[in-house]
Amino acid sequence: MDKLKLEILTPNGEIFNGDAVSVTLPGEEGEFGVLAHHASLSTLLEAGVIDIEKEDKSVESILINWGVAHVNEEKVIVLVEGAVAIRGDSESAVAKALEDAKKLINDIADSGPAIASVSARIESAARKLI
Amino acid sequence: MANLKDIQRQIKSVSNTQKTTRAMKLVSTAKLRRAEELAKRSRLYAAKMNQVIAEIAGRIKCNKVGGIDNRCFEKIENPKVVDIIFVTADKGLCGGFNIQTIKATKKLISEYKEKNVKVRLRGIGKKGIEFFKYNEVELFDSVVGLSSKPDKVKSDDFIIASIEDFKDGKIDAVHLVYNGYKNIITQELHVNKVLPVDADQFECEEVQSSILEIEAQDEEHMLESLVNRYVQYNMYYSLIDSVAAEHSARMQAMDTATNNAKEMVKSLNVKFNKARQAAITTELIEIISGVESMK
Repeated sequence: MDKLKLEILTPNGEIFNGDAVSVTLPGEEGEFGVLAHHASLSTLLEAGVIDIEKEDKSVESILINWGVAHVNEEKVIVLVEGAVAIRGDSESAVAKALEDAKKLINDIADSGPAIASVSARIESAARKLI
Repeated sequence: MANLKDIQRQIKSVSNTQKTTRAMKLVSTAKLRRAEELAKRSRLYAAKMNQVIAEIAGRIKCNKVGGIDNRCFEKIENPKVVDIIFVTADKGLCGGFNIQTIKATKKLISEYKEKNVKVRLRGIGKKGIEFFKYNEVELFDSVVGLSSKPDKVKSDDFIIASIEDFKDGKIDAVHLVYNGYKNIITQELHVNKVLPVDADQFECEEVQSSILEIEAQDEEHMLESLVNRYVQYNMYYSLIDSVAAEHSARMQAMDTATNNAKEMVKSLNVKFNKARQAAITTELIEIISGVESMK
């Protein structure tokens, strides 16, 4: 299967840089998925979860509060303001990531109904890991 | 000849100072490493941000009649009110680090004053604020504690006031003055005009064949949102860059101070030895002359 290169950057550094099979982004006008060789586009992202499907079929979830995605045929660049990756080697690490993620959600004061669905999604993502 | 005890006391005090300065240097070295790392990671974001903003702005500029319809990209010929934001450290003992920024700020202010432009001075960092307060220069507002611990949320809150005022037309330009990190021994002074963004730097790009059609309005909306983040990020980056520079400046200043103290201890030791010799000689002469007189 073809792979795409994905980079997710925050002002404090890189949070993801690697290959992915597909990536789902929370676009401002709705969620959209990107596969390799996607046509170029740039769009704003709103608070939500980025799901990255990797080569080994595992899915990594990253919570973001705002972002802009820049897609072209080879590469997807996502610039985000704040992000928390739901990952970790141990149960406690995952729990900590989940806590950070919840804090980030609480900081996003606006977009009321969206928040509920986002926090439900990160919890289910965390449960899969544990 | 100075008293032996006095010299001894002086030597002790100088070597204590040396201990302090050395410790401060070590602390700065450790902090510098962290700050440098953060700035380095952050530069990646800056590069991509520039790339994305240039691409979108370039596309709008070249494809839309009338170019970019956004005050943030306009050229403003005769500014009336401008914001100058300076970033200094909260602490001293870092050589010429703060004074360089202050001087550059003063120069910029007087340049604008000559043109009869009103300047709103916004300050970050205790040292600069104290200086301008002492010299009775009016500060529009000021923040302490942000330059030693850069925080994205706080820095966003600070800069957003300038961005809003700029968009409302209350001010016509925003300048950012700070001393940035170049390498471990040099700092580089930056005087950046963050708003309006210079639209000339964006070049028209060939439209990629695969591009998805997006309504021009959407792109403008995106650019609007992006430019906010861009300016906010610039502010934040100047803070982290300034922290790295502050630590490198302090490291250097403390290194020099340690060396000076070392020199001083050396020369005081020589002085001490001389005084001791003189005392011994005097005593010997006394004994000898005592013996001579008894003959």
